[in-house]
Amino acid sequence: MPCMRAFRGIRSIFLGFLLTSPAGGPALAGSFAFVTNQNSSDLSILDLENRREISRIPVDGEPAGIAVSAPLNAFFTVSPESKTVRRFSLATCEIEAAAELPGGPTGIAVAPRPGLAFVSDWYNARVFVLDAGDLSRIGELETGGAPAGLAVAANGSWLASADRDSNQVSIFNLPDLTLRARIPVGERPFGIAVDPQGRIHAANVGTDDVTVIDPESTEIVATVPVGARPYGVAFARGRAFTTDQYADTVSVYRLTDFAPEGSIEVGEYPEGIDETPDGRLVVSTNWFSNTVSLIDPASLDVIGEIGTGDGPRAAGKFIYETAGGETPCRAQ
Amino acid sequence: MLSRLIAALSLLLISLVAATPSGAHGPTRQKITLTTEVPAAPADVWAVIGDFQDMSWHPAVHSTTGEGGNEIDATRVLTLGEANGPTISEVLYKYSTEKMSYSYRITDVKVEVLPVTNYSSHLTVRPGKDGGSLVEWRGAFYRGYPNNDPPENLNDEAAIKAVTAVYKAGLDALHARFSGN
Repeated sequence: MPCMRAFRGIRSIFLGFLLTSPAGGPALAGSFAFVTNQNSSDLSILDLENRREISRIPVDGEPAGIAVSAPLNAFFTVSPESKTVRRFSLATCEIEAAAELPGGPTGIAVAPRPGLAFVSDWYNARVFVLDAGDLSRIGELETGGAPAGLAVAANGSWLASADRDSNQVSIFNLPDLTLRARIPVGERPFGIAVDPQGRIHAANVGTDDVTVIDPESTEIVATVPVGARPYGVAFARGRAFTTDQYADTVSVYRLTDFAPEGSIEVGEYPEGIDETPDGRLVVSTNWFSNTVSLIDPASLDVIGEIGTGDGPRAAGKFIYETAGGETPCRAQ
Repeated sequence: MLSRLIAALSLLLISLVAATPSGAHGPTRQKITLTTEVPAAPADVWAVIGDFQDMSWHPAVHSTTGEGGNEIDATRVLTLGEANGPTISEVLYKYSTEKMSYSYRITDVKVEVLPVTNYSSHLTVRPGKDGGSLVEWRGAFYRGYPNNDPPENLNDEAAIKAVTAVYKAGLDALHARFSGN
């Protein structure tokens, strides 16, 4: 078996070289995107190295929220229409657990070490705290109005929620689930992400900017103007990237001094955005175009596009990088 | 035809809609794309529909008033059906003569008039068959009822049906105008 695995790894790298190099793109060691297609109620699994959809699995209830967790070998989806959160195996893409929640479950983030999953309730100003294994409800955290995006610190020490209708970010201490701070940001923050320095970036849909917060001091570090209706934020090569839903662009700014570095044309209504852990690729999901755009974060060029199902949202962390050329969804 | 639709929608008076924070919306954004082939050169079709300040080509629109021409952030108010008819307020956020395309969003409309929220739209003329044009009208929007479990007249289906009717009426009129019938 180890031999087989090694062989598959080599073949996969070789194939990647063949397919990506002529286009000038970076070869990637097994990166996959798990894209929730809200309008077709399914999920596309994209091989970013070979630039193709390798599988599409049904996910009932118009899924939007996504959280891929390599340490848990799982990905989680949230379907607001059927109010269902699901856990799937990364290895087989089969459902391992599912739970129905009250209210308006929307965003999701996972803290692998305490083994918790957090789901925002858009209609009831709270975050559900779930056991990440069986998705049973452990507790609730009180947020501001219409909590949307969620993010967890890399070391698992806090959770942040973008409370859209309260124009604030709430930060909670983990694992003790206590409130650390509520921080006023721009108007209608929706997406939220953590940069490599551990700072929170909240994308304000209403003011077309991003509020950068230091979660330790709980102070605002910067407010950065970006394109129209920013939804998500990702980070690579010392830069931040936002999806500008109304501009059909991804805006770029530097993480050192937050200076704008222009914008990149992508598909229509870009929403979800995430980076490969090796920092070689940034991927936006384009809700109207039914595509993802592959961005080289060094050259700031779009180097490829892959088709998806209808209405790719992918709100959350949606990229999974495998070590040895393993392919997810092996049983498919 | 559209004014009848609007009248019908107006009858379903919406006391159900409680005051909600501005911009609130339901869980799933909807999208539609309608196209029609028009037997006229793209430049001729664009000459008719390419002015953000003149929506008179649409049979449901009684009058257009606005400011800012075709510049970004230009505004217009469409009055529907008759002089004192219901209105839709819109703002222009993309405009390209070269691409023959403009994008706008609704800043104010009553859900009794059009049962949508967070509505944005693109109108584009492309080269079509035999020297003709392909006119494409796309919309992205949430349903009119911003909370869980919407009433039937404000659910996702109602939103799609209403926007489809608006686009179809406009595209049908364009087709008729250039077909000489």
